[in-house]
Amino acid sequence: MHQVILDRLEDHLSGSPCSREFTSHQESCEECRGEAQEMKELSGALLTLRAPEPFTPSPGFYSQVSRRVEVQRPRSLWSFVWLEPAFGRRLAFASLLTLAILGSYLITRETEYSAGPPRPEVIMAQQAPADSTDTMLATLASYEP
Amino acid sequence: MASLTGALPLPAYGGRVAVKTRVDYQNSQEGALVRRAQSGDDVAFGEIVERYQSKVFSIIHGIVRQRNDVEDIAQQVFAKVYFSLRNFDFRSSLITWIYKITVNECFDYLRKKKVRKLVYESDLSEDEVRRVENTEPSVDRQAPADVSLARHDYVLKLLARVSEEERNLLMLKEVEGHSVEELAEMTGMNENTIKVKLFRARQKLVKAAQRLDRAPGVVAG
Repeated sequence: MHQVILDRLEDHLSGSPCSREFTSHQESCEECRGEAQEMKELSGALLTLRAPEPFTPSPGFYSQVSRRVEVQRPRSLWSFVWLEPAFGRRLAFASLLTLAILGSYLITRETEYSAGPPRPEVIMAQQAPADSTDTMLATLASYEP
Repeated sequence: MASLTGALPLPAYGGRVAVKTRVDYQNSQEGALVRRAQSGDDVAFGEIVERYQSKVFSIIHGIVRQRNDVEDIAQQVFAKVYFSLRNFDFRSSLITWIYKITVNECFDYLRKKKVRKLVYESDLSEDEVRRVENTEPSVDRQAPADVSLARHDYVLKLLARVSEEERNLLMLKEVEGHSVEELAEMTGMNENTIKVKLFRARQKLVKAAQRLDRAPGVVAG
């Protein structure tokens, strides 16, 4: 399609009066005339998509939309465990707090165990060679505090 | 002609200098309503539904023509509007955005309906399919009594072969009767861009029509 037609194609398809330049080119160029004609026909065919008559929505349309929105609303994590979101958040916070307290208590207890002086049998077991089990047993048997 | 069209895919539209007038949708009255709805105000959303429901119904009725399904599709359109409203960025007018959702929903509905029909037919034996075809009017294989309905189906088939954006532009221009200037204003695009996009869409439509006309048993209307 030539530029002179392209420039004014939309005006032509809208039914606006064509310029002399446009008309004279169309008369001389068979190909442009053919393609513009095809486009004009399809443009007219698209009018069949206009609603044949006005369609009035039913009075309760908005409530139907609201219901559909509720059905399609993505479910949150809380809804899977049957909890209200606010209560679920409080429960999660309380659980984390308990975990933190329990954790710090255990860490403190661990420190207390390791803070005391090592017991003699532990020291002897660490110092004794791995293969002298009998010697170690004899030493332990004869040990007097 | 076809070769020339192929060689000139990008019209320059140099005849007139188109001035782009961008509308500030965000600071309009409608913009305030949208922002209220975006922040979760259900009353504002209700107002949007109230304002545009008639338009949405008429778009759907024009495309689908099945009165029983119009309301169902309209509900789905507004449900989609509700869930996507947060992503609406005011680059176009609200009605242009709703129009796009509505047209897409209609074509989605028609595609699903076609798939359902194919699945249903695949479950039937050859004799049963033949019996169903004899009792139901089929657009594909025999000319329906109503020529305008056949023409309507033909146009839908053509539009199904272009992109979503091209389909929306063509419909806004031809079905809704908006001018290129109005389309530029509504979409936030340059007038020349609109003209180029429309031209490409029309070219695709012509090619699709030529292919469809060559296919056996299709009524061109």
